[in-house]
Amino acid sequence: MQINKDFTIQKVGASYVAVPVGETSKSFHGMVRLNETGAFLWKLMAEKDCTEEELVDALLAEYEVEREIAARDVHRIVEQLAENKIFI
Amino acid sequence: MFVIELAGVRIRIENRYSFIERQCRDFVCEGEDAAFAVSVTNDEILEEQKHGEFSDGYCESICLYRHICEELPAYNVFLMHSSVVEVDGYAYAFTAKSGVGKSTHTALWLKNIPNARVLNGDKPLYRLEPDGSLTACGTPWNGKENWGENISAPLAAICFIERGAENRITPAVEEDVIGRLMHQLYLRGSRQSVAQQLCLMDALVRAVPYYVLECNISDEAAHVAYNAMRKS
Repeated sequence: MQINKDFTIQKVGASYVAVPVGETSKSFHGMVRLNETGAFLWKLMAEKDCTEEELVDALLAEYEVEREIAARDVHRIVEQLAENKIFI
Repeated sequence: MFVIELAGVRIRIENRYSFIERQCRDFVCEGEDAAFAVSVTNDEILEEQKHGEFSDGYCESICLYRHICEELPAYNVFLMHSSVVEVDGYAYAFTAKSGVGKSTHTALWLKNIPNARVLNGDKPLYRLEPDGSLTACGTPWNGKENWGENISAPLAAICFIERGAENRITPAVEEDVIGRLMHQLYLRGSRQSVAQQLCLMDALVRAVPYYVLECNISDEAAHVAYNAMRKS
Protein backbone atom coordinates (compact mmCIF):
# COMPACT_ATOMS: atom_id res chain seq x y z
CA MET A 1 0.00 0.00 0.00
CA GLN A 2 1.17 3.48 -0.80
CA ILE A 3 -0.57 6.68 0.17
CA ASN A 4 -1.54 9.27 -2.40
CA LYS A 5 1.09 12.01 -2.19
CA ASP A 6 -1.54 14.74 -2.46
CA PHE A 7 -2.12 14.83 1.30
CA THR A 8 -0.54 16.74 4.13
CA ILE A 9 -0.61 15.45 7.70
CA GLN A 10 -0.20 17.50 10.89
CA LYS A 11 -0.75 17.05 14.60
CA VAL A 12 -3.80 18.99 15.74
CA GLY A 13 -4.45 18.88 19.47
CA ALA A 14 -4.04 15.27 20.54
CA SER A 15 -4.92 13.81 17.11
CA TYR A 16 -3.38 13.80 13.67
CA VAL A 17 -5.27 15.23 10.73
CA ALA A 18 -4.57 14.50 7.06
CA VAL A 19 -6.17 16.67 4.39
CA PRO A 20 -5.93 16.61 0.61
CA VAL A 21 -4.01 19.23 -1.37
CA GLY A 22 -3.72 19.96 -5.08
CA GLU A 23 -5.85 17.95 -7.52
CA THR A 24 -6.98 15.49 -4.85
CA SER A 25 -8.73 18.27 -2.90
CA LYS A 26 -11.21 18.55 -5.79
CA SER A 27 -12.33 14.92 -5.46
CA PHE A 28 -11.72 14.22 -1.76
CA HIS A 29 -13.60 16.53 0.58
CA GLY A 30 -12.88 16.44 4.25
CA MET A 31 -10.15 14.90 6.32
CA VAL A 32 -8.75 11.73 7.79
CA ARG A 33 -8.25 11.67 11.54
CA LEU A 34 -5.66 9.36 13.00
CA ASN A 35 -4.24 8.47 16.38
CA GLU A 36 -0.51 8.26 17.01
CA THR A 37 -0.22 4.71 15.62
CA GLY A 38 -2.25 5.66 12.57
CA ALA A 39 -0.03 8.68 11.90
CA PHE A 40 3.12 6.55 12.29
CA LEU A 41 1.84 4.06 9.70
CA TRP A 42 0.62 6.86 7.44
CA LYS A 43 4.09 8.37 7.27
CA LEU A 44 5.62 5.02 6.34
CA MET A 45 3.08 4.44 3.59
CA ALA A 46 3.56 7.99 2.31
CA GLU A 47 7.28 7.30 1.81
CA LYS A 48 7.02 3.99 -0.02
CA ASP A 49 4.83 1.07 -0.99
CA CYS A 50 4.53 -1.20 2.10
CA THR A 51 2.93 -4.56 2.79
CA GLU A 52 0.93 -5.14 5.97
CA GLU A 53 3.74 -7.35 7.22
CA GLU A 54 6.33 -4.61 6.77
CA LEU A 55 4.08 -2.22 8.63
CA VAL A 56 3.70 -4.68 11.52
CA ASP A 57 7.49 -5.07 11.69
CA ALA A 58 7.99 -1.31 11.70
CA LEU A 59 5.41 -0.93 14.48
CA LEU A 60 7.12 -3.63 16.57
CA ALA A 61 10.49 -1.94 16.12
CA GLU A 62 9.08 1.32 17.47
CA TYR A 63 6.50 0.32 20.09
CA GLU A 64 6.35 -2.27 22.86
CA VAL A 65 3.37 -4.28 21.65
CA GLU A 66 2.65 -7.92 20.91
CA ARG A 67 2.75 -8.96 17.26
CA GLU A 68 -0.86 -10.08 17.35
CA ILE A 69 -2.06 -6.69 18.57
CA ALA A 70 0.18 -4.80 16.14
CA ALA A 71 -1.13 -6.93 13.25
CA ARG A 72 -4.71 -6.25 14.27
CA ASP A 73 -4.06 -2.46 14.52
CA VAL A 74 -2.30 -2.38 11.15
CA HIS A 75 -5.12 -4.29 9.49
CA ARG A 76 -7.78 -2.03 10.99
CA ILE A 77 -5.99 1.17 9.92
CA VAL A 78 -5.21 -0.13 6.42
CA GLU A 79 -8.88 -1.07 5.97
CA GLN A 80 -9.98 2.33 7.15
CA LEU A 81 -7.63 4.08 4.72
CA ALA A 82 -8.70 1.80 1.88
CA GLU A 83 -12.35 2.66 2.56
CA ASN A 84 -11.43 6.33 2.29
CA LYS A 85 -9.59 5.62 -0.99
CA ILE A 86 -6.35 7.04 0.28
CA PHE A 87 -4.10 4.58 -1.54
CA ILE A 88 -2.68 5.08 -5.00
CA MET B 1 -6.16 48.60 -8.06
CA PHE B 2 -6.11 49.48 -4.38
CA VAL B 3 -4.70 48.29 -1.06
CA ILE B 4 -6.69 47.02 1.91
CA GLU B 5 -5.58 45.98 5.36
CA LEU B 6 -7.09 42.77 6.77
CA ALA B 7 -6.07 41.42 10.18
CA GLY B 8 -3.00 43.67 10.03
CA VAL B 9 -1.88 42.40 6.60
CA ARG B 10 -1.74 44.78 3.64
CA ILE B 11 -3.15 43.25 0.45
CA ARG B 12 -3.17 44.72 -3.04
CA ILE B 13 -6.43 44.06 -4.90
CA GLU B 14 -5.99 44.01 -8.66
CA ASN B 15 -9.63 44.17 -9.69
CA ARG B 16 -11.55 44.49 -12.95
CA TYR B 17 -14.97 45.33 -11.54
CA SER B 18 -15.96 48.11 -9.17
CA PHE B 19 -18.12 45.85 -6.94
CA ILE B 20 -15.10 44.98 -4.80
CA GLU B 21 -14.15 48.66 -4.36
CA ARG B 22 -17.52 49.48 -2.84
CA GLN B 23 -17.39 46.36 -0.70
CA CYS B 24 -13.91 47.17 0.68
CA ARG B 25 -14.58 50.87 1.28
CA ASP B 26 -13.99 50.70 5.06
CA PHE B 27 -10.78 48.67 4.72
CA VAL B 28 -8.85 50.69 2.13
CA CYS B 29 -5.50 52.08 3.24
CA GLU B 30 -2.99 54.57 1.86
CA GLY B 31 0.08 53.67 -0.15
CA GLU B 32 0.87 50.93 -2.65
CA ASP B 33 3.14 48.56 -0.75
CA ALA B 34 1.53 45.26 0.25
CA ALA B 35 2.44 41.81 1.57
CA PHE B 36 0.92 40.23 -1.55
CA ALA B 37 -1.40 40.96 -4.45
CA VAL B 38 -4.48 39.07 -5.64
CA SER B 39 -6.30 39.00 -8.96
CA VAL B 40 -8.86 36.77 -10.63
CA THR B 41 -8.95 35.32 -14.15
CA ASN B 42 -11.94 35.35 -16.43
CA ASP B 43 -12.12 31.55 -16.25
CA GLU B 44 -12.40 31.66 -12.49
CA ILE B 45 -15.32 34.08 -12.74
CA LEU B 46 -17.04 31.83 -15.30
CA GLU B 47 -16.48 28.81 -13.04
CA GLU B 48 -18.01 30.68 -10.11
CA GLN B 49 -21.08 31.57 -12.17
CA LYS B 50 -21.88 27.87 -12.53
CA HIS B 51 -23.05 27.99 -8.89
CA GLY B 52 -25.80 30.51 -9.56
CA GLU B 53 -26.80 33.69 -11.31
CA PHE B 54 -24.38 36.18 -9.86
CA SER B 55 -22.87 39.32 -11.36
CA ASP B 56 -19.28 39.31 -12.63
CA GLY B 57 -18.34 41.76 -9.89
CA TYR B 58 -19.79 39.59 -7.13
CA CYS B 59 -18.03 36.51 -8.49
CA GLU B 60 -14.76 38.40 -8.71
CA SER B 61 -15.16 39.36 -5.05
CA ILE B 62 -15.78 35.73 -3.98
CA CYS B 63 -12.73 34.52 -5.94
CA LEU B 64 -10.53 37.33 -4.59
CA TYR B 65 -11.35 36.39 -1.00
CA ARG B 66 -10.61 32.75 -1.75
CA HIS B 67 -7.15 33.73 -3.01
CA ILE B 68 -6.60 36.01 -0.03
CA CYS B 69 -7.50 33.17 2.36
CA GLU B 70 -5.01 30.87 0.64
CA GLU B 71 -2.22 33.43 1.16
CA LEU B 72 -3.02 34.55 4.71
CA PRO B 73 -1.93 31.43 6.66
CA ALA B 74 1.69 32.44 5.90
CA TYR B 75 0.98 35.55 8.02
CA ASN B 76 -0.61 33.53 10.86
CA VAL B 77 -4.07 34.61 9.77
CA PHE B 78 -6.89 32.30 8.74
CA LEU B 79 -10.55 32.25 7.84
CA MET B 80 -13.13 30.45 9.91
CA HIS B 81 -16.71 30.46 8.76
CA SER B 82 -18.42 31.92 11.83
CA SER B 83 -20.34 34.80 13.29
CA VAL B 84 -18.46 37.00 15.77
CA VAL B 85 -20.06 39.32 18.30
CA GLU B 86 -17.97 41.84 20.23
CA VAL B 87 -19.03 42.75 23.76
CA ASP B 88 -17.00 45.09 26.01
CA GLY B 89 -13.73 44.47 24.18
CA TYR B 90 -13.95 40.68 23.76
CA ALA B 91 -14.96 38.64 20.72
CA TYR B 92 -17.35 35.67 20.97
CA ALA B 93 -17.53 33.35 17.97
CA PHE B 94 -20.42 31.13 16.89
CA THR B 95 -20.26 28.49 14.31
CA ALA B 96 -22.75 25.94 13.03
CA LYS B 97 -23.72 23.97 10.00
CA SER B 98 -25.32 26.12 7.37
CA GLY B 99 -28.96 26.85 8.16
CA VAL B 100 -28.83 25.98 11.88
CA GLY B 101 -29.28 29.57 12.97
CA LYS B 102 -26.03 31.49 13.48
CA SER B 103 -27.67 34.69 12.29
CA THR B 104 -30.76 34.17 14.42
CA HIS B 105 -28.64 33.62 17.51
CA THR B 106 -26.43 36.61 16.66
CA ALA B 107 -29.56 38.76 16.43
CA LEU B 108 -30.59 37.55 19.91
CA TRP B 109 -27.27 38.78 21.30
CA LEU B 110 -27.74 42.19 19.70
CA LYS B 111 -31.18 42.44 21.26
CA ASN B 112 -30.34 41.10 24.72
CA ILE B 113 -26.70 41.72 25.57
CA PRO B 114 -25.80 45.35 26.35
CA ASN B 115 -22.99 46.79 24.16
CA ALA B 116 -23.07 43.80 21.76
CA ARG B 117 -22.15 44.55 18.15
CA VAL B 118 -21.35 42.29 15.22
CA LEU B 119 -17.66 42.16 14.30
CA ASN B 120 -18.42 39.95 11.29
CA GLY B 121 -21.51 37.88 10.57
CA ASP B 122 -20.04 35.26 8.28
CA LYS B 123 -16.38 35.25 7.23
CA PRO B 124 -14.13 36.87 9.85
CA LEU B 125 -10.39 36.34 9.98
CA TYR B 126 -8.47 35.16 13.04
CA ARG B 127 -4.88 36.13 13.78
CA LEU B 128 -2.64 33.99 15.95
CA GLU B 129 -0.64 36.25 18.28
CA PRO B 130 2.89 35.47 19.51
CA ASP B 131 1.51 34.60 22.97
CA GLY B 132 -0.79 31.92 21.52
CA SER B 133 -3.97 33.96 21.84
CA LEU B 134 -6.26 34.76 18.92
CA THR B 135 -7.65 38.04 17.65
CA ALA B 136 -10.89 38.09 15.68
CA CYS B 137 -10.77 40.62 12.83
CA GLY B 138 -13.49 42.18 10.72
CA THR B 139 -13.46 41.81 6.92
CA PRO B 140 -15.49 43.24 4.04
CA TRP B 141 -16.93 39.74 3.46
CA ASN B 142 -19.62 39.51 6.06
CA GLY B 143 -22.55 37.49 4.78
CA LYS B 144 -25.96 38.21 3.36
CA GLU B 145 -27.06 40.27 6.38
CA ASN B 146 -24.04 42.48 5.76
CA TRP B 147 -23.24 42.59 9.47
CA GLY B 148 -19.75 43.69 10.27
CA GLU B 149 -17.28 46.46 10.98
CA ASN B 150 -13.60 47.16 10.56
CA ILE B 151 -12.78 46.27 14.16
CA SER B 152 -10.85 43.53 15.95
CA ALA B 153 -10.96 42.07 19.45
CA PRO B 154 -9.29 39.28 21.44
CA LEU B 155 -11.24 36.05 21.06
CA ALA B 156 -12.82 34.88 24.34
CA ALA B 157 -14.56 31.64 23.33
CA ILE B 158 -15.98 29.63 20.45
CA CYS B 159 -19.44 28.11 20.55
CA PHE B 160 -20.93 25.43 18.29
CA ILE B 161 -24.64 26.03 17.86
CA GLU B 162 -27.26 23.31 17.60
CA ARG B 163 -31.00 23.54 17.68
CA GLY B 164 -32.67 22.39 20.88
CA ALA B 165 -36.01 22.60 22.65
CA GLU B 166 -34.33 24.00 25.76
CA ASN B 167 -31.32 26.30 26.11
CA ARG B 168 -28.32 24.44 27.41
CA ILE B 169 -24.59 25.11 27.09
CA THR B 170 -21.84 22.59 27.85
CA PRO B 171 -18.06 22.56 27.36
CA ALA B 172 -16.99 20.73 24.18
CA VAL B 173 -14.36 17.99 24.38
CA GLU B 174 -11.28 18.34 22.17
CA GLU B 175 -12.01 15.29 20.02
CA ASP B 176 -15.36 16.73 19.16
CA VAL B 177 -13.88 20.22 18.57
CA ILE B 178 -11.55 19.09 15.77
CA GLY B 179 -14.34 17.40 13.83
CA ARG B 180 -16.63 20.38 14.16
CA LEU B 181 -13.96 22.98 13.30
CA MET B 182 -12.87 21.10 10.22
CA HIS B 183 -16.08 21.97 8.39
CA GLN B 184 -15.68 25.68 9.10
CA LEU B 185 -12.04 26.22 8.11
CA TYR B 186 -10.79 26.95 4.63
CA LEU B 187 -8.23 24.22 3.96
CA ARG B 188 -7.32 24.99 0.37
CA GLY B 189 -4.34 26.22 -1.55
CA SER B 190 -0.80 24.96 -1.90
CA ARG B 191 0.57 22.14 0.22
CA GLN B 192 2.54 24.68 2.22
CA SER B 193 -0.51 26.84 2.82
CA VAL B 194 -2.69 23.90 3.91
CA ALA B 195 0.05 22.58 6.21
CA GLN B 196 0.39 26.03 7.79
CA GLN B 197 -3.39 26.23 8.12
CA LEU B 198 -3.34 22.94 10.06
CA CYS B 199 -0.61 24.33 12.35
CA LEU B 200 -2.87 27.30 12.99
CA MET B 201 -5.72 24.87 13.69
CA ASP B 202 -3.53 23.21 16.32
CA ALA B 203 -3.08 26.63 17.96
CA LEU B 204 -6.79 27.28 17.58
CA VAL B 205 -7.87 24.19 19.53
CA ARG B 206 -5.62 25.24 22.42
CA ALA B 207 -6.32 28.97 22.40
CA VAL B 208 -9.83 29.33 23.79
CA PRO B 209 -12.57 27.41 25.61
CA TYR B 210 -15.14 25.68 23.40
CA TYR B 211 -18.81 25.16 24.08
CA VAL B 212 -21.76 23.41 22.52
CA LEU B 213 -24.96 25.40 22.78
CA GLU B 214 -28.30 23.72 22.25
CA CYS B 215 -30.71 26.56 21.84
CA ASN B 216 -34.11 27.75 20.73
CA ILE B 217 -34.93 31.24 19.49
CA SER B 218 -35.96 32.81 22.82
CA ASP B 219 -34.17 35.75 24.46
CA GLU B 220 -33.01 33.32 27.15
CA ALA B 221 -30.75 31.60 24.57
CA ALA B 222 -28.50 34.68 24.36
CA HIS B 223 -28.29 35.03 28.14
CA VAL B 224 -27.46 31.34 28.65
CA ALA B 225 -24.70 31.57 26.03
CA TYR B 226 -23.22 34.88 27.22
CA ASN B 227 -23.21 33.88 30.90
CA ALA B 228 -21.16 30.77 30.12
CA MET B 229 -18.81 32.33 27.55
CA ARG B 230 -18.36 35.70 29.19
CA LYS B 231 -14.86 36.96 29.85
CA SER B 232 -14.29 40.08 31.88
